[in-house]
Amino acid sequence: MSAPPAPAATPGTPAAGAPLRPGEVLGDGTTGRTRAVGRWRRLRPWLVVAAVLVLGVLVLLLPAPPSSTTPGAPDNAGAGGARALAQVLERRGVEVEYVRTTGAAEAAAARGGTVLVVGDVWLLPEQVERLADLDNDLVLVDAGWALSLVAPELTAGGDVSPRGVRTAACDDPDAVAAGTVSAAGSVEDTSGAATVCFPPAGGPATEGAYVVLEQDGRRLTALSDLRPLTNDAIVDEGNASLALRVLGRHDHLVWYVPSLDDAGAARPDDGGASLTDLVPWVRPVTLWLLLVLAVVVLWRARRLGPVVAEPLPVVVRSAEATRGRGRLYRRGRAHGHAAAALRAGTATRTAHRLGLPRSTPAPALVDAVARASGRPSDHVEQLLYGPPPTDDAGLQRLADDLHHLESEVHRP
Amino acid sequence: MAVTSRAVLVALAGLLPVAVLPAPVTVLVWAVVVAVLCAVDVALAASPREVAVSRDVPRAVRLGQATRSSLTLRAVGDRRVRGLVRDAWPPSALPGGDAPTGARTPRHRVDVPPGESRTVTTPLVPTRRGDLPGDRVTLRTVGPLGLAGRQVSLTVPARLRVLPEFASRRHLPSRLARLRELDGRAAVQVRGAGTEFDSLREYVDGDDVRSIDWRATARRQEVVVRTWRPERDRHVLLVVDTSRTSAARVLDATRLEASVEAALLLGVLAAHAGDRVELLAYDRRVRARVADTHQSRVLPGLAEALAGVQPELVETDWAGLVTQVRSRLSRRALVVLLTSLDPAAVEQGLLEVVGQLTRRHQVVLASVADPELEELRTARRTVEEVFDAAAAERALLERAAVGLRLRQRGVEVVEALPDELAPRLADTYLALKAAGRL
Repeated sequence: MSAPPAPAATPGTPAAGAPLRPGEVLGDGTTGRTRAVGRWRRLRPWLVVAAVLVLGVLVLLLPAPPSSTTPGAPDNAGAGGARALAQVLERRGVEVEYVRTTGAAEAAAARGGTVLVVGDVWLLPEQVERLADLDNDLVLVDAGWALSLVAPELTAGGDVSPRGVRTAACDDPDAVAAGTVSAAGSVEDTSGAATVCFPPAGGPATEGAYVVLEQDGRRLTALSDLRPLTNDAIVDEGNASLALRVLGRHDHLVWYVPSLDDAGAARPDDGGASLTDLVPWVRPVTLWLLLVLAVVVLWRARRLGPVVAEPLPVVVRSAEATRGRGRLYRRGRAHGHAAAALRAGTATRTAHRLGLPRSTPAPALVDAVARASGRPSDHVEQLLYGPPPTDDAGLQRLADDLHHLESEVHRP
Repeated sequence: MAVTSRAVLVALAGLLPVAVLPAPVTVLVWAVVVAVLCAVDVALAASPREVAVSRDVPRAVRLGQATRSSLTLRAVGDRRVRGLVRDAWPPSALPGGDAPTGARTPRHRVDVPPGESRTVTTPLVPTRRGDLPGDRVTLRTVGPLGLAGRQVSLTVPARLRVLPEFASRRHLPSRLARLRELDGRAAVQVRGAGTEFDSLREYVDGDDVRSIDWRATARRQEVVVRTWRPERDRHVLLVVDTSRTSAARVLDATRLEASVEAALLLGVLAAHAGDRVELLAYDRRVRARVADTHQSRVLPGLAEALAGVQPELVETDWAGLVTQVRSRLSRRALVVLLTSLDPAAVEQGLLEVVGQLTRRHQVVLASVADPELEELRTARRTVEEVFDAAAAERALLERAAVGLRLRQRGVEVVEALPDELAPRLADTYLALKAAGRL
């Protein structure tokens, strides 16, 4: 295991009494115990941080109610949920079994009782057929399409009037007991075999929010609107009465809210195929690759000793200061200064070449340079002591001229 | 704990059982198998703390000279020590260590039976002057399966002193030859304050008639001339400036490197000439010093002292330096200042105090010239280059002015490119010696 960096090269206790020779180092002065203590000391702050994090997460999780946000679910305490109804039913001795898959609904329905289906958006035709094949009483809420598959004579009505209070207007005892409900939408009975209740205001008599049909010895109930069952509206009008009577018919209620996860889900016994079922080795091979990756990480993560650092000296280019000065000239547009430096350099070098002392006065130098280069002396004077240039082009020209003058000056 | 590449192979071999029985549990079982194998291997591996490690390096080596670090491992436990060992040194100590990517410390595979010892050697080619401390020795022992093992990094004291390269020693033979020519010259013009009477010898054609010793000629039957030789036992004090100006890089190396080379050549030459050589490396305090020693020990002494001298980012304390020089020199000496002719630094420091030195001693200032300045001065194609040329011109003029002011105060100024500084300084020394100005 990783050893903490040794504080000093104190040789450890020689093992098996082997005496150390001079210059030899044995171990890093640690034992398994000191290493464990050191590791614990190093890890302790991180453990504290981890503990605080876990506690924080727990605190965040604890007050969260065991509530879902699924509309119409018996464990949803929100406005769109139906926990109030489910709890009242349970208090009245109805065992509510909440399921999310068709397979589970089938399994639960085998015990008898009512099967409630809330919504049909996530249902496939096969799933509806499987539900229709059940012998149980069926209550379809907000499931017009599924209803037409279960009972072809019942279809979703054409009512689009806003949600409003409707009266029973039929002789179904549950509807009569409820009196009025607040609901929207309708179910249309085309055969006339069903009992149609709570028709929309001004709608045809064959449409109603609540339809009951005796079908093959079971009772099929359809409710066009989920809202009467929700926590928000259960206490309005006779909603509670209707819901309790419809769903409390048997002491076992299968509360099925179809889910997206279930789409395409197979019957437990039909051996249907998911991706992992189709390609059985994908999961083990992925796991195996993860294992290999983990070992590779372990292999590469441990360096053979620490990186060796070396103090490097500060090194500056010698001409850096000169370049900096050149940039300052440029930024300050100091053409005069630059020209003066160039002229002084040329003057010094030519004077040296002509053997003149450094203290030679300007006119004497101009004469000597003019003689040596064969140029007119006023030209040389203009070049060496003329007015400073005021722009880049002038400076460039001066630099070139000085260079040429210098190359023309020869020892007399 | 550390796992080896073999453990990865074992993990890879898990594909076989997974292919036969493709289920997640197979992978789980294989993971347990790998973990157990590694754990068993770690348990069976010899403890790296039961290996006595000793490191052996030469005490000192010249810059660029290949050497080696020998690491001896002795298994003191009762298990066979198998595994890898890394003898870590700073990158500049390794061959190819000056490459931009650095160098990788070689690692050695070792197999030491209990009670025995093995030696592994790591080649070293130091590319930087100074004291190189050996870094930690890392020992990784693996178990008999070679899957996993234990690792420890030990601090094993070792130090390699890297002496200056002394590349300027190639100039030594020619300068020694010229030194010998100075001896025994009969010409009068060499006669001066710094020369002493050597011997009498017979006149040969070409000798200056003014050097004939008439008294001796009268005693004998032949014409005899006096010969002279440069005075011996003069003091030479080499002062190496290690301040910020010595850190500047000229061409490939710092100014200090050129100063060190020049100091070594002059020191050896002066020692051969019979002078007494001392050295002082100074910025704000003494960084190294060599006292007057026997001629044969001058070069080792100088190299040893200059090995650890590095540029410091401080301004030279010239007043303190002069105090040091005066306290160490009791009589007239040649004081060689190996510094930079940096106008600002010289004007604010050296110029004020150099008079105190020149009053009693012959002072030579040796400075590295920068070829880049000359390049900047002559490049005038664009306006930017003209401005840079003007700046370079100004810098050169200022250097020249400072050099002139130093010469006016009696200082001999030597300015040369890095490679030429050492021979030029040696030539200056020989000229001073020939002129008897020491």
